[in-house]
Parts: sequence; C-alpha cells; structure tokens
Amino acid sequence: MNGLMDSKGDNRLPMKKKSWLLMLLTIFMVITTACGGGGGSKTAEGEVSLDDVEAASMDMKNDTTPIKIQYWHAHADAQLEGLNYMISEFQKKYPHITVEPVFQGGYPDLHKKLSAAVAANDVPAVTNVEVSSLANFADSGVFADLGPWIKRDEVKMDDFAKGMLKAYAYNGKQYGFPLIVSTSVFVYNKTMLDELGVEPPAKWDEIDDFNAKVTKKEGDKTTRYAFSIPGWDTWYYDPWNINGGGQILTDDMSASAVENEDSLRYIQNFYKWQNEGNMHMGFGKGASDNMRQMFLNGEIAMVQHTSAMLKMYRENADFEVGVSFIPGDKVRTSNIGGAGIVMMEGAKDLEKEAAWKFIEFMTSAEQNIKWAESVGYLPTRKSAIESEEGDQYFERWPQYRAVYEHFDEVTPRLQHPAYPEFSEVYKEVVGEMVLNKKDPTPLMQEAAKKINDILADYE
Amino acid sequence: MPMETSKQMTKAASKRATASVSKRMSHTVIEKWKDFSFAVPALLFMGVFLYYPLGYSIYLSFTNWNMTRPVKKFVGADNYTRLLSSPDFYHSLKVTFLYTFMDVVLTLAIGLLFALLLNVSSSRLFGFMRGVIFMPYYVSMVVAAMVFTWIYNGQYGLLNNVVSWFGMDPVEWLNNPSTALPALVAVSVWKGVGFAMILFIAGMRGIPAEYYEAASIDGASKFRQFRNITLPLLSPMTLFLVITSFISSMQVFQSIDVMTAGGPLKATNAIVYWIYTMAFSEFKTGRASALVMILFVIILLLTLVQFLVSRKKVHYEG
Repeated sequence: MNGLMDSKGDNRLPMKKKSWLLMLLTIFMVITTACGGGGGSKTAEGEVSLDDVEAASMDMKNDTTPIKIQYWHAHADAQLEGLNYMISEFQKKYPHITVEPVFQGGYPDLHKKLSAAVAANDVPAVTNVEVSSLANFADSGVFADLGPWIKRDEVKMDDFAKGMLKAYAYNGKQYGFPLIVSTSVFVYNKTMLDELGVEPPAKWDEIDDFNAKVTKKEGDKTTRYAFSIPGWDTWYYDPWNINGGGQILTDDMSASAVENEDSLRYIQNFYKWQNEGNMHMGFGKGASDNMRQMFLNGEIAMVQHTSAMLKMYRENADFEVGVSFIPGDKVRTSNIGGAGIVMMEGAKDLEKEAAWKFIEFMTSAEQNIKWAESVGYLPTRKSAIESEEGDQYFERWPQYRAVYEHFDEVTPRLQHPAYPEFSEVYKEVVGEMVLNKKDPTPLMQEAAKKINDILADYE
Repeated sequence: MPMETSKQMTKAASKRATASVSKRMSHTVIEKWKDFSFAVPALLFMGVFLYYPLGYSIYLSFTNWNMTRPVKKFVGADNYTRLLSSPDFYHSLKVTFLYTFMDVVLTLAIGLLFALLLNVSSSRLFGFMRGVIFMPYYVSMVVAAMVFTWIYNGQYGLLNNVVSWFGMDPVEWLNNPSTALPALVAVSVWKGVGFAMILFIAGMRGIPAEYYEAASIDGASKFRQFRNITLPLLSPMTLFLVITSFISSMQVFQSIDVMTAGGPLKATNAIVYWIYTMAFSEFKTGRASALVMILFVIILLLTLVQFLVSRKKVHYEG
C-alpha cells in the first residue's frame, strides 16, 4: 500500500537528470559567453524623387502573354461588391491579365501571412498593407519601389492628396498608392447640438465652452458626455499630440519626444477633461462597441472615430449625424488610416508589370469616386473630387465635405519600423489614465525611457 | 607437434567462434534496424514537424531576424540578456504563474469536490449531473471565450445583471486590470473541472473497498477515511492532473487572444501570448524564439521538480 515508484524509475531518473543538467549547462554557457550586436538608427524623411530612377521597360508594358496574379486583401464583406466590379472592369481593359483576389482577414492577419509568404519565398504580386506597417515592411525590402513604373507611365502624382500619397512613401521611395483611405473625425449628434445651439469646436480653446454647454450631470455622475476620444488606438491621439505642437519622436527619429512640454499638452488636457467628467475615453477590447452604443443612445454628443464608420452611424442613428474635422491648436491635422496597395519585391517581372497595371487602375482618377463610395472610404484624387461625379458624391455624403475642406491636412502617421512596438508604451500611459485615473505627466517620463530603449534596440 | 596441432585447433576454434559471434551480432543488428524501420514514419513526421522546427528556433533565437529580412544576423545571446533584464519579462512570468496557480488549484479542488459529491454509480440522476459538469470540456475554447466575453461585458453582460441584484455597481470585468485575470481563470476552471472530476472518480473507484471496511471497523470517521485512504490513493491521479493542467495553463493563449488581447495594461499578458505578439505583430522573430526557449526551460524544470516531489508524496497502491 505504501509502495513508492518502482525500481526501474529509480534507476532511470538520475540518468535523465544528468543529461538535462548537461543541456542546461550548455544553454547557460552559450548565454554567458556569446555577446550582443550593435546597431544604428535610420530616418525616414526625404521627398520622393524620380530623377535617378530608371524607367521600367516599355516592352514589358506591351507584352500580352496571359498571366495570372494574386491580390491579397483585407476588404470586408461589405466592400467585396465594389472590389469585384473593379476587377471585372480591369479585366475588360487588360484581357490577358487574370486577377485572383484572396481575402486574408483583417490587417493584422494579412500582415502575418505576408511575412510568412516572404519567409517561404512564395509571394502574391500585389497586396494591401495597413498604412502604419508600411515602414516596417519597406525597411526589410519586402515591397517593390514603384518609381520605375511611375516614371515610365508619367503618373500625375500631384493629383493625389499630398499627405495620403506621402503615407505610402518611405526613405524617398514610393512603395504604394493610397487605396482605402480614412481619417479620424468627430462624428456628432447634429440634432442634439442644433437644439443646444452649439457648433463642434474647431480649436482647443473652444472646447471648455463646448463642454459647459453639452455635458449633463446628476450630482457627480456624468449622464451625457460632451465628447469621447478612443484610448484603444494611438491613431486617434497622435494627431492631438501634433496639433498641440508636440512630437512623438525627435526630428531625426533617434529619441522619444513624448515627454516634452509641448507633447504633453494634449494628454494634460485629456486628464483635465476626464476628471471634470466632460470627456469619455474607452480603453481595451470592446471599448469601441461601448462608445458606439453610448453615442447612439445619446449618452455622448460627439465621438472621434474613423471616417469609415460614417456609413454605420448614418444607418443606425435615429438622429441626424454630422461630421467635423478634429479641432486644432498650433496646427490642425488628422492622421491617415486605412490601407494602400503595394507590389511585392519577390514577384516575377511579368507579374510585377501586371501588378503595376492593377495598382494604377485601382487608384486611377476615373474609378476613384465609384470605388470610394462602394467601400465607404475617402476619394484620393483631386481631379475626381472636382469632377461632376464628385459633386454628386458630396450631395449624397455631405458629411465628407468637412474632411475635404482639410484635404491636405490629412497627414501620414509617424513612419518608423518600430512604431507598432513603441506606440504601445505611450498607449499604456493613456490606459493608466483611463482605467486607474493616474496623472499621465510623470508616467510619460517613464514611458520616454522605455521608448528610448526600444529605439536603441532597433537596428 | 602436439603443441602445433593444439595451437592450430584452438585457432580454428576461435575462428569458428568469432564467425558465429559476428553472425549473431549481424543478426541482432539487422533485428535492431528492422525494429527501427518501423519507427521511421513516426520519426520522420516528428523530425519535420517537431525536431527540425525546434532546432531552427534555437538557431533563430540567436539572430535578430524579423521574418522578412533576407539576412539573419547573428546577435549572440543578446535576445536572452535583453529578455532576462526586462521588467516586462518578469511581469509576464508573474501573470503566467498567477494564472497557472489559480487555475490548477481551483480546477483540482472543485473537481475533487464534484467527484466526492457525484461518485454514485447506481443513480441515473448523478450520471446526468456528471454529464452536465463534464460538458464544458468539449466546448471549443474559442467558443467558450466568445460567450464569456459577452457574459463579462460591462454594459450589457449577464454577470453584471446578476451582480446588480445584490446592489453592486456594474464592473467592466475584462477591462479592469484587477478582475481580468481571475475572469480568464474562471473560464478555464469552468471548462476543466469536469475532466478533473471524471479522473478523480475513476481513481476513487480503483480504491479497494476493503480499506474502507477495515478502517470503519477500526472506528475511523468518514473524514479520517478520506484523509488517510482516499487522498493518498488518489495521489497518482492528482499528479497526472497537476502536471497536465500545469503545462496547459502555462501555455494559456486562446482565451487571452479572444477576450483581452493581453490587456488591460498587460494584466493578462501571459508568456505565450506575449511570444505571439512579439513574433507576429512586432515581427521580432528572433527575440520571440528566445522567449520560447526560456519558457521551454522553465516548464521543463518545473515539471522535473514536480516529478521529484512526487517521488516522496505519491502513493501507488499495492
């Protein structure tokens, strides 16, 4: 009844122990003897210049060998109709090219699969890329420089909104074109604000007045927030930082700037507005749904959200929905969101040619309004917006006028390959402020150290 | 010449002997290779899908590869030293251990309780009850996590509805750094308790009734019987459950991915989830491989410790 492990087990165990010890010893020896590597940092600034670029081959352009290319995308169900229309139009124009669209899930999934495809050396010819990840991929040489084709076909680059185009350039090379473009805007309850007789603020110093008129309280508890800013994605408050005169990284992108006086202005205001009970801020998973629901219930008068959500708000609100560009202080900008269309460096030459034709077609001025409206994103071409078709578009979607009045103030996000990593650090400060009601100013000093560590580690 | 002949004879004998030995040897060698050949398909499979990737990730852990860069630059133990000196690592380790501890202890304790309660073979009702408790075990974790996400929702979740009957304020269960981890543990316990219960019941039924008879003749109370007979004789089963649930809790991933994404404020950023984000959203494949190796060693060591402790504490019947 009290028998222990049988003798066999007793014999085996010391042997096992020895070999594991040996293995552990080896591991620790490797850890302690090997040494680390150094590295430098890079800057991403620099205008795109085509002077030194050799134009792509004309022979390729006229080649009509039948070819099939894959287009990896992240277009949700609602956008598929538009996509299929575009592909069928494209194939009418170029019968020798077959485009096979492959849905790869949302942007994070798409990016994972792209990385795996590059590692496996089996890439699609053309793909979407979410705008903030362009730098990371371009830095590793995953995407092809479009310069040679732009030069050969004399693409009118100044017809694109400047910031939108720049968002897909990196280190002086144009890696892609804006395809589905959004920007964060204030979506407001127009019925409510009209009743109260207030306009959405255009400047920071109008916000206190706006709050006083819109916020409703019962005792200490807010029953109606003046506005909400999403805390779950840095995309929403990076432009607030910039608008307040601040920066995320220093000019040469070598060090953190989030702790600087000007860079702290926005978050100190957030802290104040939050403590006053005027501003609502959601953080974490599910926070987006909550904010949406509260807005639709009339518990928040105005929410900052992506312009791509406008259709959803218009369909679900039982009040009139308005849109205003986010308020500015020293400057007034908002960041570009959404995805671009890029070509993979690892594709074969003929595939690249076909991919270029597809990219050019998808982003062409002729299709721009139709495409934008079918997917619910913003047009990118000035000539398209100024056309008759553009006028009709604004009649159907008057809310977007607010964005087009600031067409060139839709700026690229900070382009740094380590952005996805270090942005998490100051996002955490926002989280501490929202969830634990902590003062963000001292926390940002800590965050700056962490960001600098990450930048030093990046090579 | 007798010497000569005897020499020759011994020579011949030894020659014959070696021949037969080598024959026997070659026979056993062939036998061994034949045995081995049966294992080849399995070994090949393991080689391609386990040993090669394992070896390759050890190699990657010494590089700064990011999955897309063509060159895998060797950086020595840099990945290891950086991880081992980063507070985030110790935070994740703490989260993982906390989760594992709560998960293992609660699953086993509640499982044992249910086993004691429902170990009645003659009753249909009890059989049904066991079925009900076991049921969550075969619900997929992703499905369970999605359902619980809704239950835990701060605005319209079921749990807050229940809580409000007792006059408590609604809680953002998954968005509150102090409740998020216990909330995840609860899902895992809910799912795993039935399995622990079934194994405990199987263990209890393996204990000979004579021991209990002898004990009750000697006047031992039910509690004494439980403590001195049931518990010690269940120890092999307990060891099995501790080790399997320990290893699976250390590798918790799905529920975190679906319910919290490691948040809020990294409160549920367990190691495996961290490995995943590091490798596939920050694309630090080399660093993530190093973390994989560290986790591997930790689990290995702790499992070893469990075995060693169990040599003293586990009682095998007979």
